[in-house]
Amino acid sequence: MAERETITPGSIGGLAFAFLQKASPLQWVAPHLRAHVGTALAFVFAIAFPLMIDRNDADIDSAANALAFASLALGLNIVVGFAGLLDLGYAAFFAIGAYTYGFFASAQFMPAWSGFWEPFEWLHLVARVHQDGGDLVHFTVSFWLMLPFSAAFAALFGILFGAPTLRLKGDYLAIVTLGFGEIVPIVVRNWPSVTNGAMGLNGVAAPQLFGHSFGINATPYYFVGVGLVALLIFTSTRLKSSRVGRAWMAIREDEIAASAMGVDRVKFKLLAFAIGAAFAGATGTYFVAKLQTATPEMFMFPVSVMILVMIVFGGIGSVWGVVLGAVILQVLQSWFLEDLSQWLHALGRLIGVQWLQHIELVSSIELIFGLILVFMMLYRRQGLIPATRKVRALSLAEQTARVELAAPAPAERVRVLGDMTYRGPGPLLEIKGLTVRFGGLVALREVSLSVPAHSVVAVIGPNGSGKSTLFNAVTGLVAPNAGKVHFAGHPIEGLPPHVVLGRGMARTFQNIRLFPNLTVLENVMIGMHARLHTGAVGALMRLPGTRREEAAAREHAIEILSLFGNRLIPRIDHVVSSLSYANRRRVEIARALASNPKLLLLDEPTAGMNPAETLELAQQIKRLHEHGLAIVLIEHKLDVVVSLADNVVVLDHGEKIAEGTPDVVRRDEEVIRAYLGRSASLRGAAVA
Amino acid sequence: MGWEAVYLQQVINGLSLGAMYALLALGFTLVYGILELINFAHFNVFMVSSFIGMMALEFFGLSGQSHILTGLALAGVMAFAFVATMLVAGLLGVAIERFALRPLRGIPGTVGMITTIGISYILFNLVLLTKGAGSFNFPNPMPRVAWTIAGATLDLREVLIWGVALVLMTGLHLFVNKTRIGKAMRATAQDSEAARMMGVDVDRVIVMAFFLGSALAGAAALIFGLYYNYTSFIIGYTAGLRAFTAAVLGGIGSVTGAMVGGIIIGLIEALGGQLIAVRWTDVIIFSILVLVLVFAPTGLMGRANPTKS
Repeated sequence: MAERETITPGSIGGLAFAFLQKASPLQWVAPHLRAHVGTALAFVFAIAFPLMIDRNDADIDSAANALAFASLALGLNIVVGFAGLLDLGYAAFFAIGAYTYGFFASAQFMPAWSGFWEPFEWLHLVARVHQDGGDLVHFTVSFWLMLPFSAAFAALFGILFGAPTLRLKGDYLAIVTLGFGEIVPIVVRNWPSVTNGAMGLNGVAAPQLFGHSFGINATPYYFVGVGLVALLIFTSTRLKSSRVGRAWMAIREDEIAASAMGVDRVKFKLLAFAIGAAFAGATGTYFVAKLQTATPEMFMFPVSVMILVMIVFGGIGSVWGVVLGAVILQVLQSWFLEDLSQWLHALGRLIGVQWLQHIELVSSIELIFGLILVFMMLYRRQGLIPATRKVRALSLAEQTARVELAAPAPAERVRVLGDMTYRGPGPLLEIKGLTVRFGGLVALREVSLSVPAHSVVAVIGPNGSGKSTLFNAVTGLVAPNAGKVHFAGHPIEGLPPHVVLGRGMARTFQNIRLFPNLTVLENVMIGMHARLHTGAVGALMRLPGTRREEAAAREHAIEILSLFGNRLIPRIDHVVSSLSYANRRRVEIARALASNPKLLLLDEPTAGMNPAETLELAQQIKRLHEHGLAIVLIEHKLDVVVSLADNVVVLDHGEKIAEGTPDVVRRDEEVIRAYLGRSASLRGAAVA
Repeated sequence: MGWEAVYLQQVINGLSLGAMYALLALGFTLVYGILELINFAHFNVFMVSSFIGMMALEFFGLSGQSHILTGLALAGVMAFAFVATMLVAGLLGVAIERFALRPLRGIPGTVGMITTIGISYILFNLVLLTKGAGSFNFPNPMPRVAWTIAGATLDLREVLIWGVALVLMTGLHLFVNKTRIGKAMRATAQDSEAARMMGVDVDRVIVMAFFLGSALAGAAALIFGLYYNYTSFIIGYTAGLRAFTAAVLGGIGSVTGAMVGGIIIGLIEALGGQLIAVRWTDVIIFSILVLVLVFAPTGLMGRANPTKS
């Protein structure tokens, strides 16, 4: 039953990597400890590295540069890899961090001395320089102080540059960031009073530790670099496996669905920009302290592209991958290309080939970058270390296992689903005169309907009658032109989708909008976003409270998935794009339930399902309803509507043409006409 | 020169630059209109084309600006140079589409764009490695004929540039709107799935878009060389970004928009350099790019919507 893999040039590389992964040197370590042991080994190696190469200063220096680029790659990975926002001007934040330190730790800007500066002198932030014709102020802010300050300052610019791009889709966002990436070096060049223009800042102070200056010896910088990269790896991994990381990945996978599941797009995109920029800002400070100079050329477009190449090479979204990518490319650049060129020259002399003797690989590094980008995109888009691990496919027996729908006892279900009943006064959802226009087309015309607590309302109507638009308008995806929507007694029209979800209204989409490259479990846990509270700081600290919240969320997600019996539980670690159509529908419903809604909007939940699956799902929906959940259902299968709905609303051409119990609506002349045309309704009348 | 003459002169310069940017912008817009792909390779297809144009002119033994041709000889050499450059550039575009982009078609997200950045880098560095970092004197056989209008100078080369641009843009307009394959292109741009079902060979349409766009970049590259009398491996980036800004300003995906946007950017570059300072020109143009994308993403006459996701 195993499918034979066809071998193409692309998959040979994949097979080689698969082989390497199988021959993993950590095979003897217990699986749950592997990550920790691997991290520890990497750290020991990094610490011992200067000794291993005999303290060769030039080599340690290039290793320190490699660490700087690893930090940049980690920062860009937050923006591009986690949140999916392609930033082509990332070097701008590197420049901002570099110049911030350069400005406060050099003799570039020296205002006249006055009493104002005395407290700063006392704090060792400035020094008084005695000079004929008036004393001057010399900024001498410590490197260690500037490291977090530059990070914060760059983060501010991250928000500033990120804010205008929020509404743009991927490729346009890339262009705007590219524009900012160009503007920053030009401003630096044209603002000589602060930056010394094209000449660059010189004489930037080296860091000091316990009174000893780092000077120009590479080793201390190397260890600072190791610390910086370790800190950023720690930050990245903690964020990635938290509520924050899940929210970013949800935005990356499907922005609309993310906001419909409660993720505040603006907030989390800006957070990604800010954290990514902060990484670059700190790295800029480190880099300039190491070089003790900064020029605009160090931060141009090629640098942004180089960092992009590093993360594409290592694996977009993979924390260790991007570190590896950065280190390999830097080491390649500073060590191997020179040697390789020499070898090629020798080879050329040996076999008498002229051009081989003149090849200079070091100057072709950008050509190599270009080739890496193209070939990685064509043949190995997941990079050296893929961000998502492959999971075992289900065996034939598991795939064809008899469907067992555990029917949890009512008490059990209460625990799983929480309290979903609305007990306030009045109906749960009240829509009055809702009108939505798209240009000249009126998609909804003054539609009113109300959903009492603990009821199932079905919305039916021919294609194009405005059913999905109704859902979109109610959940905030489309702004209504007129009308009122009250939910649980409060007006919600015009609120953004994530707020609507937070109020207790969750939905599914007609054409399934899951997060395709995330697992079943991750999808459902994103549904819980609005119910959880961990922010970036909490994710980093991972205090007991956060751990408990995360563990409870995971457990709750599994319980919700178990409502679908053994349909989803065996596939919990599978990416949803590999699931069958019906299972994807089920995951989408589970994701909506995870937000613990009071009202569930289902847009054609049984579309594309066979009769047995339809029946199964209808029973499950019925059970949710019995539990107290109110449901609005768009559905074409009338048997499902009749068996579930307390009340049916019929839309045609954006107007409500009938409302009532399923039996009443089924006999309504107008409804028959809308569905079958006038002649059918006449014939129906004749038969009656 | 009085100030009126200075400004008139800058308007003349701006129109020439604008004609070049418009031709280059058309390449971005044709490909974007059909594939929704921002083609960074276009920057350096333009740059490579300028070297092809140089070779085409050198083929006639021309070098520098001292070999002056007149009459039929001039017309013949110019026609050959334009046709040869456009043809080779067009084929380069087709090759890029065939070997690097077609295998990635249908993959969502920014994969295609990242690939075009890679191709752009490859072209850039191939020229750098084979030709070196210096700038090359671009052959220009046009006689030094100039007219003085209200104190400003109008060169023959400017007339030629405007003429070529006008002919090519009219030709493209007629091609897109009056021919069968042009109709297929417009249909594919609207909805490639539906076009395919109606029997349009979408692959052919895409190849055509790359060919036409790259050929126009070839014409723009020759104009660049004739206008500035030099070429170098770095010319693709700045000119490309300005042309891209023109395409966005006009409304990416819109052929007329690219033409109008190109002229506007050319005028802004010439007059902005005069009114503010040349060193801020790039900041002005990038700011326009950012502002248009953020506040009026459909541009002057676009239909594409950069904010939809």
